[in-house]
Amino acid sequence: MNEIPAPVLEWDLIAPLMVLGAVAVVGVLLEAFVPRGPRFVVQASVAIGGVVAALGTTIWTATRTDVLDGDVLARGQVAAEGALSVDGPSLFTWGLLLVLALLSMLLFAERRLGGGLSAFTGRAADAPGSSGEAEATRHRLEHTEVFPLALFALLGMMLFAASTDLLMMFVALEVLSLPLYVLCGLARRRRLLSQEAALKYFLLGAFSSAFFLYGVALVYGYAGGFGLAEVADAVASRTQERPLLLAGVALLAVGLLFKVGAVPFHSWTPDVYQGAPTPVTAFMAAGTKAAAVVALARVLLVAFGGAEWDWQPAFWAVAALTMLVGAVGSIAQGDVKRMLAYSSIAHAGFILVGVVGATGGDGITSVSSALFYLTAYGVATIGAFAVVMLVRDASGESTDLDTWTGLGRRAPWLAGAFALFMLSFAGIPLTAGFIGKWGVFSAAWAGGLWPLVVLGVLVSAVAAFFYVRVVLTMFFDEPRPDGPLLAVPGAMTTVVVTVAAVATVALGVMPGPVLDLAQQAGAFVR
Amino acid sequence: MTAFWVLAPFMVLAALGLVLARKAVHAALCLAVVMISLAVLYAAQGAPFLFAVQIVVYTGAIMMLFLFVLMLVGVESAESLAESIPGQRIGAVVVALVFGALGVVGVAQSVTGAVVGVDAANEGGNVEGLAALMFGPYVLAFEATAALLITAVLGAMVLAHRERLGRRLTQREVAEGRLQDYAHHGTHPGQLPTPGVFARHNAVDTPALLPDGSVVETSVPAPLRARDQVRPGDRSEVDAVARELEPGEDPR
Amino acid sequence: MNDPVWVVVLKAVLIFVILVLYTLFNIWFERRVVARMQHRVGPNVNGPFGLLQSLADGVKLALKEDLVVKAADKLVYVLAPILATIPAFLAWAVIPFGPEVRIPFTDTYTALQLTDLPVGVLYVLAVTSIGVYGIVLAGWSSGSTYALLGGLRSSAQVISYEVAMGLSFVTVFLYAGSMSTSEIVAAQEDLWYFLPLVPSFLIYVVAMVGETNRAPFDLPEAEGELVGGFHTEYSSLKFALFFLAEYVNMVTVSAIATTLFLGGWRAPFGLAQVWEGANDGYWPVLWFLGKTLGFIFLFIWLRGTLPRLRYDQFMTFGWKVLIPAALAWTVAVIVLRKAQQEGQLDRTALLVAAGVAAVVLLATLLLPGRRGDEPAESEPADEPDFDAYAGGYPVPPPQAPHVPTRPWTQTAIAHHARDKEDSDA
Repeated sequence: MNEIPAPVLEWDLIAPLMVLGAVAVVGVLLEAFVPRGPRFVVQASVAIGGVVAALGTTIWTATRTDVLDGDVLARGQVAAEGALSVDGPSLFTWGLLLVLALLSMLLFAERRLGGGLSAFTGRAADAPGSSGEAEATRHRLEHTEVFPLALFALLGMMLFAASTDLLMMFVALEVLSLPLYVLCGLARRRRLLSQEAALKYFLLGAFSSAFFLYGVALVYGYAGGFGLAEVADAVASRTQERPLLLAGVALLAVGLLFKVGAVPFHSWTPDVYQGAPTPVTAFMAAGTKAAAVVALARVLLVAFGGAEWDWQPAFWAVAALTMLVGAVGSIAQGDVKRMLAYSSIAHAGFILVGVVGATGGDGITSVSSALFYLTAYGVATIGAFAVVMLVRDASGESTDLDTWTGLGRRAPWLAGAFALFMLSFAGIPLTAGFIGKWGVFSAAWAGGLWPLVVLGVLVSAVAAFFYVRVVLTMFFDEPRPDGPLLAVPGAMTTVVVTVAAVATVALGVMPGPVLDLAQQAGAFVR
Repeated sequence: MTAFWVLAPFMVLAALGLVLARKAVHAALCLAVVMISLAVLYAAQGAPFLFAVQIVVYTGAIMMLFLFVLMLVGVESAESLAESIPGQRIGAVVVALVFGALGVVGVAQSVTGAVVGVDAANEGGNVEGLAALMFGPYVLAFEATAALLITAVLGAMVLAHRERLGRRLTQREVAEGRLQDYAHHGTHPGQLPTPGVFARHNAVDTPALLPDGSVVETSVPAPLRARDQVRPGDRSEVDAVARELEPGEDPR
Repeated sequence: MNDPVWVVVLKAVLIFVILVLYTLFNIWFERRVVARMQHRVGPNVNGPFGLLQSLADGVKLALKEDLVVKAADKLVYVLAPILATIPAFLAWAVIPFGPEVRIPFTDTYTALQLTDLPVGVLYVLAVTSIGVYGIVLAGWSSGSTYALLGGLRSSAQVISYEVAMGLSFVTVFLYAGSMSTSEIVAAQEDLWYFLPLVPSFLIYVVAMVGETNRAPFDLPEAEGELVGGFHTEYSSLKFALFFLAEYVNMVTVSAIATTLFLGGWRAPFGLAQVWEGANDGYWPVLWFLGKTLGFIFLFIWLRGTLPRLRYDQFMTFGWKVLIPAALAWTVAVIVLRKAQQEGQLDRTALLVAAGVAAVVLLATLLLPGRRGDEPAESEPADEPDFDAYAGGYPVPPPQAPHVPTRPWTQTAIAHHARDKEDSDA
C-alpha cells in the first residue's frame, strides 16, 4: 500500500472556522444532554460565546497575516490544501459576518416579546393549529436546536466567502443553505406562512444549487481543475472550447445570483423574508448576502477575470434590472417584511454595480466598496428587522404597513430608529448608506460604467422617495385607534436596535476606520 | 464508448419516462434505471468505487426511501394538473427545449477529443487514488460535509420528531380510562364494530349492518367518514343477496 | 485477470449450476434438520435419503397455474421476481471459491472466481440493495395490503440491517487494507479475522439473518399477521423465483461471512500444517462449501429454535443496539490499528485492554436495568379501600377469588374451599 501524505492545514489561519464548528457541534451535544429547563439559556450563551470567540480568533488571525509583495495590495495566503483563501477580503467578511451573527443571535435569544417564549415554534412536528401545538405551548416548549443550526449556517457563510475552490464552494453553499431552509419553517406565529416559505426556499434553493453544480462540472471540463487559480490559468491560456467556459460561467452565476437575490433569481426573496421568523430573516438577509456577494466577486474576478468581456454585459443587465425591480417592487408592498425584502433586492443591485465595475482584474476598489456597502446594509437590515419584532398585536408581529401609521407619535425612539435605517437604505447623507452608495457608484464610475451609475442614482431617488414616505406616515399621520401594541423591548432587542442605530450613524458621520479596513483588505489572493 | 452507446438510449428513454409516467412509482423506477445505468457508465470509465457507491447510496438508499414515501402517501392521489399561471406549461416546455439545445450544442462543440487522464488517476489503484484526493486537497470539503450531515440530521429531528411530553399510558390506564368514559358518557368501552359485518362487502368503506338491517356508522374508520367515502348499504342489499341465494327464485 | 471468453462463460455457467443445485440441496437439508430437531423424519422417500424431494417439489411448483391478480400493476408485477432473483446470482461474481487452478484437460490456469473487483465487497452490498427492489415492487404491485406491508417491512429491515452489516465490513477492510474479496482471503493466511474481530463477526452474523429475512427475523412473511408477506399474491414460477432468490441470498451472505471472517477457501485450522496440499488444486472448493454449509446449518438451527421477534423490537434492536455497537467497535478498531502501526501497543497492553473492556462489558450487563426500578417507586404506599362501584360501574376486586371452570382446576377449588373452612374454624 502506498502512503497517502497527510494534508497540511494551516490551523492558525482557519482557527475561526474550527472554533465555530466546534461550538456548533457542542451545541448539538448540549441539545442531547442538558435538561429542558435551563437548555435555552445554556444554548443561547454557548452560541453567543462561540460567536464572540470566533470573532476574537478572526482578529487574532487577521493580525498574523502578512502583506504580500506585488503590484497590488494583498494580504494573507491560500490555506487548507488550496481550499480556502484566507486573504484580506475573507477576513473582513468573516469579521462582518460574525458581528452580524452576534446581533442576530441576540435576536434569536430574545424571549421577552412572546410572553417568555422565543420566536421559534415549540414543536415543529405538530400541525399548525393542532391540539399538539397547544399542548407544546402549554408546556412552554422551545426549539433550542435553532442555535446550533444558525451556527452551522454561519460556518457555511464563512466558508463560502473564503473558498477558492469550486468544490469547497459548493459544499459551503450547502452548509450555509440547509440550516436556513429548516430555520425558515420554525416560526411560532403564522406557521403555515412560515412552512410555505421554508418549502419554497428549499425547492428553489435546491434547484439553484443544481445549476451551480452543473456549472462547476462544465468549468471543470474546461479547466481540468476545481481551483479558482487553475481556472484562471486555463482562461488565460486556452482558446478552444470556449462554449464550455461560457456555459459554465452562466450556470455558476445562476447559483450565486440566487443567493445574492438578484433579478431574475429574486422571486423567492419576498415570500421567504415574510414567512421566516423575523430573527432568521434578519440573519439571513444580512449574512447570506454578504457571503454570497464576496463569493460571487471572488469567482468572477479571480477565476473568470481573464474573460471579463464575455460575462460583464450580462452582469450589467442583471445589476440594472435588480435595482429597478427592487426599487419599484418595494413601492407596491403593503407589508413591512416584504418591503424590506424588495429593498434588499434593490441593494443587491447596487452592490452588483460596484462588483461589476471592477477594472483591470484585481478590482480593489470594487471589492472594498462592496465590503463597505455590505457592512452598512447588514447593520441597518438587522436593526430594521429588530424593530419589526417589537411592533406587535395580539397575534404576533404586526407587519401590515397601514398599522404603522403614526407610530412615531406613540414610540418616538423606536420609530426614530426605524426611520434612521430607512434613511440609510435610501442613501441620505450622514448615514452609512450614503457612504456605501458613494463607494460603489464611484467604483463603477471609475470603471467607465456611467450608464449604470446614472441609472443607479435615479433608482436611488425613486427608492428614497418611498422610504421617506414611510418615515412621513410614521411621524406625521394620526395613529390608528386599532394600531399595534408596542412590546416592551427586552434587553437583547434594545441592545441590537441601539447598536445598529449607533453604527449606522457612526459609519455615516465618520466612516474612516471601517473604510480604511475595507481598503486595506486588498485584493483576492489566489 | 460501447457502454455509452448501449446505455445512453436506455437512459434517455428512462429519463423521458420519469417525466411522462402517470404513476409516481413508475417514474421512480425510471429514475432508478437512469441511476443504475449511470453507475454502469462509471464502471466502464474505470471508476469501480463510484459505481458501487452510486448504487449503494442512490439506488439502494435514497431511491428506496422515495419509493417508500410514494407507496405510503401517494396511493390514490392524482396530481392536480391545473395551471396556476396561464401558459406556464407551454412556456416551460419551450424554455426547457431551448435550454437543452443550448447545452447540447455548447457541450458538443467543445467535447471532441479523446478522453484522457483516467489511467493517470487510477495509477495507484482506483480506491487509493480517490482516498488520496479526498484526504489530500479536498480534506476540508470532506470535513465540511460532516457539518452538512449533522445539519441534516438535526433538521430532520426538529421537523419530524415529536417530543413526548407526558408519560406513556399503560395498558391498565387505557382500560380504566375507557371504562370511565363508559360510566360517565356511555361510550362503548370495547372495540368498534368491524366494517362489513352482515353487509354486502367486507371492505373497510362498507358499514356493518345490525341484524335489523340498519347501518352502524361507527364501523367505518373515522377518516373515511370524514372524507365522505362511506359506501351506502342498507337492508335492501341484504335482501338482494338473500334472493340470489334462494334456489327457488334463481332467475336462471 | 484476463481470462479468455470461454473460461469466463464456463465459470459463469458453473456458478449458476452450483447455486441452483445448492438451493435444491438446502431445501432438503433444511427440512431434514428441522425435522430431526422436532423428532420427525423429514423427506426420505424420493431418491437416496429423499434428496430428490426438492426437485419434485420444484417441478410441481413450476407446473402450477400462473395467476396474475386483477388489481396488480402488470408490468411491475412480472418484473419484480426477476429483479429479486438476478441480483442474488450477480453477487456471486466476486466470491472466490479457491486459488488459481488448472482447468482439467487444458493448459489454462485461472482463479476460481468470476471476476476480481477492487471494490468486491461493496459490489456485493450494491447488488443486494438492488435485490430489495424486487421485494418492494412485488409488495406494491400486487395491489394487496398484506403484500404491501410485507414488502415495506422487508425493505425497511434489509436497509436497516445493511447499515450494521456495512459497519462490520469496515473493520475487515481496515485489517486487510483492501476491499477486494480475493485480497481479503489472501490477508487471512495467518489469522482468520473472526478471532481478532469477534464483535464484527457477531454483528455480521446477526445482520445477515436480518438481511435475508430469515427466522427469527422473518417478519415480512409473518404468516400470522401478513399471510405470506410480499409474495402473497404470487404463484407458480414467479413464486419459485422468490423462493430461489431467498435461498441464494442465504448462501450469498454465508459465503461473504466465510470469505471475510473464516479465511475463505483456506483449509480449516491445522489441516494445512499436516497436509501440504490442503490449500492447492480443487480441495479449497470443498472447504469453502463446507464452511458455507456450516452457516446454512446455523440458519436452520435458528429457525428451529427461536420464536419470531415483534417488529418494533426488531427495529429497536437493529438501530439502538446493533448500529451503535458496530460504530463504537469500528472506532475502537481504528484507534487500535493506529496505535499498533505507530508501535505504541504491544501484545500485553492489547490483552490488558481487552480484559478491561470485557470486565466493563460484563459489569454493565450485570447492572440492574433502570426499567426494573421504576414500578417500585411508583407503587402507592398504601392501597386505598377497594370500592366495588368506583367510577359508577361494578368491578370485581383484584384480590377476589377467581372461579375456575375448567375441569383440571377443580382440585384447586377444592383446596381453596378446604383452606377457607380451616380458617373459619
